[in-house]
Amino acid sequence: MYTKGPVVVVELPEQLRRAEAEKFLGELQPLLENDRPSLVLDCSKVQQMDSAGVDMLLHCLEEAMKRDGDLKLAAVSPASAVLLELMRVDRLFEVFETADQAVRSFNALPVDANRNTQPWYAPALGLNELKAAS
Amino acid sequence: MGLGAIVVIGAGENIFSQRVGKDPASANAGLAREVALLDGPLTCVEVLGRTTVERMVERLLRTGVDRVCLIVDEAVAHYGNPFRASFERAEAEVAAAPEVAVSQRLAEYSQSGIDHCFVLSADTYVETDLLDLFYFHRESRQVATRAFDQDGLLDLWVVDCAKAQRVSVERLLAPDATSYFVREYVNRLKHPRDLRRFAVDSLSGRCEAVASGKEIKTGIWVDLGAEIHRRARLVAPVYLGRRVKVREGTLITRCSAVEAGSRVDSGSVIDDTSVLENTEVGICLDVCHAVVSGNRLLSLGRNCVLEIHDANLLRSTVLDRVSSSALTGPNRKVETLIAKDVKKSESEKSIQLPHGSWVPILSRE
Repeated sequence: MYTKGPVVVVELPEQLRRAEAEKFLGELQPLLENDRPSLVLDCSKVQQMDSAGVDMLLHCLEEAMKRDGDLKLAAVSPASAVLLELMRVDRLFEVFETADQAVRSFNALPVDANRNTQPWYAPALGLNELKAAS
Repeated sequence: MGLGAIVVIGAGENIFSQRVGKDPASANAGLAREVALLDGPLTCVEVLGRTTVERMVERLLRTGVDRVCLIVDEAVAHYGNPFRASFERAEAEVAAAPEVAVSQRLAEYSQSGIDHCFVLSADTYVETDLLDLFYFHRESRQVATRAFDQDGLLDLWVVDCAKAQRVSVERLLAPDATSYFVREYVNRLKHPRDLRRFAVDSLSGRCEAVASGKEIKTGIWVDLGAEIHRRARLVAPVYLGRRVKVREGTLITRCSAVEAGSRVDSGSVIDDTSVLENTEVGICLDVCHAVVSGNRLLSLGRNCVLEIHDANLLRSTVLDRVSSSALTGPNRKVETLIAKDVKKSESEKSIQLPHGSWVPILSRE
């Protein structure tokens, strides 16, 4: 586990079945209880995962989002990706090729962050400008 | 003048190509074993209700072949009987050294008055006109004629049995034999994805092979004893094999095939997938562009095999077939579609033969 700014990167264990998933969740719980947790789960070492492992990932995502945070996956192996697709949860997670990319995605501004600088009620043109235009 | 056939079922790799070598198709020869989706030969796996070797034997017999001999490599003999139907004029032999058995069988054919013989590997499914191949060979007056297609040499020969006595099998089946070009459908069953291709080609009408069972609606094939819930959705073309159970809310689409003894549980989607024999797909799963066998899944998109040790997702139904009957209680409103006009024949008896029994090929009704 290491941190990059506000983002915490955690490596998942090789086996992610019921027992390992429960143990891992116990370790991760303090991080999930922070305000706005920003987590990246590095799946590069995962070799076996089952439905309990996927349940654990979903639980973590739910907890993070409850606290206005987010959880992203990195370095998901083809086998793990197939399992996520099989269980229809692939579309719930943001998946990145590397942990660094996932960390950077937390720091990046949203695409339309600069567009709405004016309040919604401010007219684009004043009354005088409108008269002049007409 | 008689016509015989020898079909060799090898252990995944092609026994002819190993010896003859340099066949373009043999580059993939070891792949089936590496991938390990299946433990046995692909030719013994049912696709749309029947194995490809069974389809080839039937094609040979339809051509007018007097005797068909299946030489089964000892390494794969335990895998099981690949025949749903039974054929007269066909016999099986398990051999430790298939090439020796081929040689002996050619000699025996020659002595018993069979002049020419087709020799083929069960790994090759070919829909060519075999009689035309035979006439081509006879006119060429060579010891052997080998078939090839646009992708290279095929493991299909016609051999002159008498002349073959003077030549070794390696020499006989060498690639420099006279060649016969095949324009028709060919499937080299080298990889589990070829099983999927075969199912798609057959359901799309790109080859002559037809799904077994009954076509209950256009493009929807249902075999004996399949149970389909009334709220399951089948989008043609699809195939549901013998004793298949499809539960509520499932969607089966895009040339998918669910083979004999398999179950698809509630809410799952089977899309562009072959679910091989005796496989259970769990609740609310999305199986797309894959081949599934027991607890193993080959993702064709990602080209990887996944072994899932979680019975909630995928599992084999072989061990719990008896207990599974409890799942279909009267309150589950399962609509049973039984193809009543499909007569229960000797084929069903052949399924119940002890595992690994190759010998009892009975006469067909």
